[in-house]
Amino acid sequence: MRLETEKKLTFGAFLLIPLVCILVFMVYPIGKSIVLSFHRWDGISPETTYVGLRNYSRLFADVRFWTAVSNNARWLAFSLALPTALGLALALLIDQKIKGESLFQTLFFIPYTITPVAVASVWRWLYEPRNGLFNKFLQLIGLAKYRQIWIGDPSIATYSIMFSSLWWTTGFALVLYISGLRNIPQELLESATVDGARFSQRFRFVMLPQLLPSTIVVLAMSGISALRVFDLIYSLTGGGPGYATEVLATMMFDVSFNRFEQGMGSAIAVTLFVLSAVIILPYVYHTSKNLEDITNG
Amino acid sequence: MAKGDFNAVRVLKRVLIYTALVLAAVLFMIPLVVLVMTSIKGPREIVNIFALPETMYWQNYVSAFERMGRGIWNSVCITVPAVVISTLVGAFGAYPLAQFRFRGDSTIFMVLLAGLFIPSQIVLIPLFQIIRALGVYDSYVGMWIVHTAYGIPICTFYLRNFFATIPRSLMEAALLDGCSVAGYFFKILLRLGKPGLAAVFILQARAIWNDLLYGNTLTRSDAVRPMTVELATFVSQTDVQYGQLMAATVISILPMIVMFFVFRREFISGMLGGAVKS
Repeated sequence: MRLETEKKLTFGAFLLIPLVCILVFMVYPIGKSIVLSFHRWDGISPETTYVGLRNYSRLFADVRFWTAVSNNARWLAFSLALPTALGLALALLIDQKIKGESLFQTLFFIPYTITPVAVASVWRWLYEPRNGLFNKFLQLIGLAKYRQIWIGDPSIATYSIMFSSLWWTTGFALVLYISGLRNIPQELLESATVDGARFSQRFRFVMLPQLLPSTIVVLAMSGISALRVFDLIYSLTGGGPGYATEVLATMMFDVSFNRFEQGMGSAIAVTLFVLSAVIILPYVYHTSKNLEDITNG
Repeated sequence: MAKGDFNAVRVLKRVLIYTALVLAAVLFMIPLVVLVMTSIKGPREIVNIFALPETMYWQNYVSAFERMGRGIWNSVCITVPAVVISTLVGAFGAYPLAQFRFRGDSTIFMVLLAGLFIPSQIVLIPLFQIIRALGVYDSYVGMWIVHTAYGIPICTFYLRNFFATIPRSLMEAALLDGCSVAGYFFKILLRLGKPGLAAVFILQARAIWNDLLYGNTLTRSDAVRPMTVELATFVSQTDVQYGQLMAATVISILPMIVMFFVFRREFISGMLGGAVKS
């Protein structure tokens, strides 16, 4: 049994660094954030003042907070629906045994390789009110009266940012769906065709159920990205005009690092954490159940 | 239905499919074409967004490089070591999890999986304090530590699944031949695991190169601040020279696009493995 001891010792040593990192950089900070959310703290002075639930009651009474929450909700609805649907549609088109398959796949995927900050940079120029692409185009086709101040008008700014995000993230859903389609056993599709199933029927009764694992992943990833969305908004509008495009992530950053109300910032972070957990727990549960099967098998 | 009709319908369908795809591809490429075209236009030409540039105005790139050069160098100095370290540490964690069942392994798994999805905001304030306490605020070392720590969930998760595909009998055989448990990892597993390691490299390179939040919070000086922070400042400036901004953008996305074309397969498989349980 010397080997068993050696295994235990070596494996223990291998796990040490990752575990210490997780404890120091994940478990401890999450606990600390929760504790801080019950305190008032400017982030600099050694003293923190216990204020009980006051951060939360102030937060929940703040219009700015509810603007951010409702924007996150809109991002959630958007992310679950549009990039997923567009990605699936494009994947289905590419899957029709066409020429230049990998060229199309690459073209749709390229935007996803770009840094979100750079996406913001490109779209700031496209949305520029006087010389930008959108308004110039509307002018060109004689619809000048529909020109907009795309990211400066509070009523449409969030949708404009979402549109740029659609361009950026569709490639991700596309790639997942293409690999999902490739994994569908050909016999299934062929026998359905032989049985006389139309494309819509094959899609509804064969492909869609077979694509369920891909769909679960795409939805989970989109759901969580809707709560984490930060870079695009931070760079394009900074949460403005006013607080029109703000989400919890940008609000947390502003409150904590520009205003140095780090107790309040922690309360926002905890809220965000709880919301993410609610969204992601079903997925984690689903995945870890599948993992058990693998480790046992 | 006559056979001719059937063929006509088929051809029509093909035409529609190709039309839809080409149209979509053109729409997807427009922002990038505009980006590149604008980046070589002088201030006088820039007002005509649809026109091709008449003269190449390289001055945009000169100014953009003056402004972004240091940031890009910093991003390289942050990304390259952080990618190597985080992949290695991830592999450390993945080895026992792939080869060994022990008490608490499923707990570690749940924590890793949860770690994949935690919004960075929840750790940001305490992290700022930890990094200051360690004396690595505003330094490359600090950024390496942070990217390694937050890369652990994805690296371990991905590599564990990859290592699990390597037959365990191989390890038993190596051990019988007198190879040590640690030796098997360094001499055999790392070599056999190359495709998996390559995919994780790419995945991490993209994540770290693109990072804005940690760079923004944990660095301050020009000598350390990554390209993303520099570009974000440029983008949110009130008055901006769009030619220069687009040139700066091209410079900042070029390394990732080149990497994508060179390592297309690893890029995609990393993306898939990072998202789908395998």
